[in-house]
Amino acid sequence: MGHHSNWPEWIYIGVVIALMTWVGAEAWEVERIVEHVPADAKVIKVVGQQWFWSFEHEDGTTEIGELHVEAGKAYKFEIESTDVIHSFNIHDYVVLMDAVPGRVNTVWFAPDKAGEHDIQCREYCGLIHYNMRGKLIVEDPLS
Amino acid sequence: MKGMLGLFLLLAVVVIVPVAEYAFAAGDEPGEYVDRRVLIWNLFFRMMTVAFTVGAVVSGTIIWLILRFRESNPKAKPTPYEKEGVW
Amino acid sequence: MVLELQKPRPIWQIMFSTHHTDVGLLYLISSLAFLFLGGTLALAIRAELFLPGAQIIADAMTFNRMFTVHGTTLIFLFIIPFASAVGNYFVPIMVRYKDMAYPKLNAIAFWMIPPAGALIWLGFADFTWYATPPYSIISAPGPAADMWIFGLKILGISSVLGAINFIVTILKCKHPDMSIGQVPLLAWSFLSSSLIILVAIPTFAAALLMLLTDRLGVSGFFNPALGGDPIAYAHLFWFTFHPEVYVLVIPAIGMMYEIIPRFSRKPIFSYGSGVFAFVLLSIVGFSSWAHHMYATGMSFTEKTVFMVGTLAAVPASAMHVFNFLATMWNGRIRFSTPMMWAVGGIALFFSAGAGGVVNSAMPLDFSTHDTYWVVGHFHLFVMGTIAFGSIGYLYYMFPYVTGRMYNEAMGKIHFILSFVGTVLVFFTQHVLGLYGMPRRIFDYPPIPEWIAMNQIASVGAMIIGVSMAVFLANMIHSSAKGTPTDTDDPFGLGGKYYYPFEARNPHH
Repeated sequence: MGHHSNWPEWIYIGVVIALMTWVGAEAWEVERIVEHVPADAKVIKVVGQQWFWSFEHEDGTTEIGELHVEAGKAYKFEIESTDVIHSFNIHDYVVLMDAVPGRVNTVWFAPDKAGEHDIQCREYCGLIHYNMRGKLIVEDPLS
Repeated sequence: MKGMLGLFLLLAVVVIVPVAEYAFAAGDEPGEYVDRRVLIWNLFFRMMTVAFTVGAVVSGTIIWLILRFRESNPKAKPTPYEKEGVW
Repeated sequence: MVLELQKPRPIWQIMFSTHHTDVGLLYLISSLAFLFLGGTLALAIRAELFLPGAQIIADAMTFNRMFTVHGTTLIFLFIIPFASAVGNYFVPIMVRYKDMAYPKLNAIAFWMIPPAGALIWLGFADFTWYATPPYSIISAPGPAADMWIFGLKILGISSVLGAINFIVTILKCKHPDMSIGQVPLLAWSFLSSSLIILVAIPTFAAALLMLLTDRLGVSGFFNPALGGDPIAYAHLFWFTFHPEVYVLVIPAIGMMYEIIPRFSRKPIFSYGSGVFAFVLLSIVGFSSWAHHMYATGMSFTEKTVFMVGTLAAVPASAMHVFNFLATMWNGRIRFSTPMMWAVGGIALFFSAGAGGVVNSAMPLDFSTHDTYWVVGHFHLFVMGTIAFGSIGYLYYMFPYVTGRMYNEAMGKIHFILSFVGTVLVFFTQHVLGLYGMPRRIFDYPPIPEWIAMNQIASVGAMIIGVSMAVFLANMIHSSAKGTPTDTDDPFGLGGKYYYPFEARNPHH
């Protein structure tokens, strides 16, 4: 056993704990803001099944594999699955939530400008998991 | 000792609970939508800045240790434990 | 201690032996065999992903089976048995006992591995190493899935038996002159990881049985169609397998605790903080399991609890890094092959840990969860830290096991290629994850960034493949034809630093 003082180790542990506290606090703050769904968000029902996505808007229109939304509005996805676990993901808008059979999970986003983005499945769901893809089409508001 | 415990409990009630409630209540204001991309990626880049800074310190330390204390370094000298031959 | 390779024994004498070094040798050889089998699958996967479209793997089903068996093999049939090999060789010697506490149990625990490995490889299941329900219940083709479940069941029993043996050997059979505070850190690492196994594994054992009865259709624990909840499986699974991550990493850290002081020619900086960090990690390790499940629809409060639990495990790991660096400081370090692996392992351990901290931050899960970021992150642990520590230790124990010296130049080439390859593959995969590529996909759309990153990763994997070929050649050649070496001081460090010469094996 060497003879040495331990204060460098204590300082080091203090720094590590301080860093971890900072990480936790920052993450907590951002998560809190991000999880807060705006009251006027429109609901879109998302159903994942092997191996495609279908969507139902508030007005009852349905789409398969493609989702049309308007820029500048908030949307809340209510995500379900009819068979196995999928994960609904629009990576460009950092939207991700598992589609779990027997549950409804929610996540929201507000697209800000027109464009096309990929929708994909990010949880392993079987044979064609790799190609369970769709398109998000953000359009300028009509009016 | 009991007094200290009471003091901490009191502090928790007086300070922490209102702060937590205030924090939870925030974000309820109506108006502009937050942009989750901006928030999340900014958080990511803040953390990467710190991670890479710490990483530079750690890997710099490792590289310096390797160069300075390798036995082929001209300044290398036997450790005190080598004389007894037990470590 | 020295295996009689110079004075050969018939193979059945080793196979039917219950002596700890023989069982250790069996563990060692089988774990290395599975390392090469699982590694081959990894190379095939990386080759397939080099370009979009199907090239060398026929279809998605084959691909899915390959990554499932790759993960299962390398975790359960390489990393865990390798740790058992090292523990079998060294724990009895370190606590100065003639053998493991229960030699027959020890042999039984080993002999459960070949049938389990056969079940996993002959079945070739496709539901990922996590056996994701309800896919595994309603969609996964049998009998592969059932064979996988039975294989894992057997491996679970095997590791519980091994854990009991290590705990009893260390706590009850250590030499009476030796206090628990004098037990070397490598043995402490086996004590802590064995305690984790005893607490963690039964949960998964139960979950496996439930999964099996669900598949048979007689129950519906995880099947929503019968009123079950697949998220319950996620909790049961991760309650076992997040602590299991520490079961994998703690022995590797223990191996680095053997290597780094020897080659620095100094005692460990702080034995006490090493023990403390092991014990702390094995307790705090149980508070973080659901950080794998942020995206399953957990509440904000649940996520916060598990984020705090995850961050709480960081100081314990950081203490080990400090201990290693402080041990090297003021030493006179000889960079033989084992030391290179250990120091490379520390650097990658830090990278993996930093990635893990970032992962645990809840909102970042939206961008990293189930992407290649996660693949890169945990591979930095299992390859960069655990395999690096283990392979370093394999080079370290090589002279004691075979009585011969490995080829130092080849060992160093192995290290350098592996290090470069590991950085190329797994750092790149982090970036690939940030570009949004999901895990476990057979094919991907031709997005230019994805193609570039995948190609860098595949080249890195091939470099690792080459390094492993060098490794295999070195091991085979050196154990048969290497220079006979002085087992008192095979690395020429000039000290009486090793245990074996206090306890020459009376059985050989």
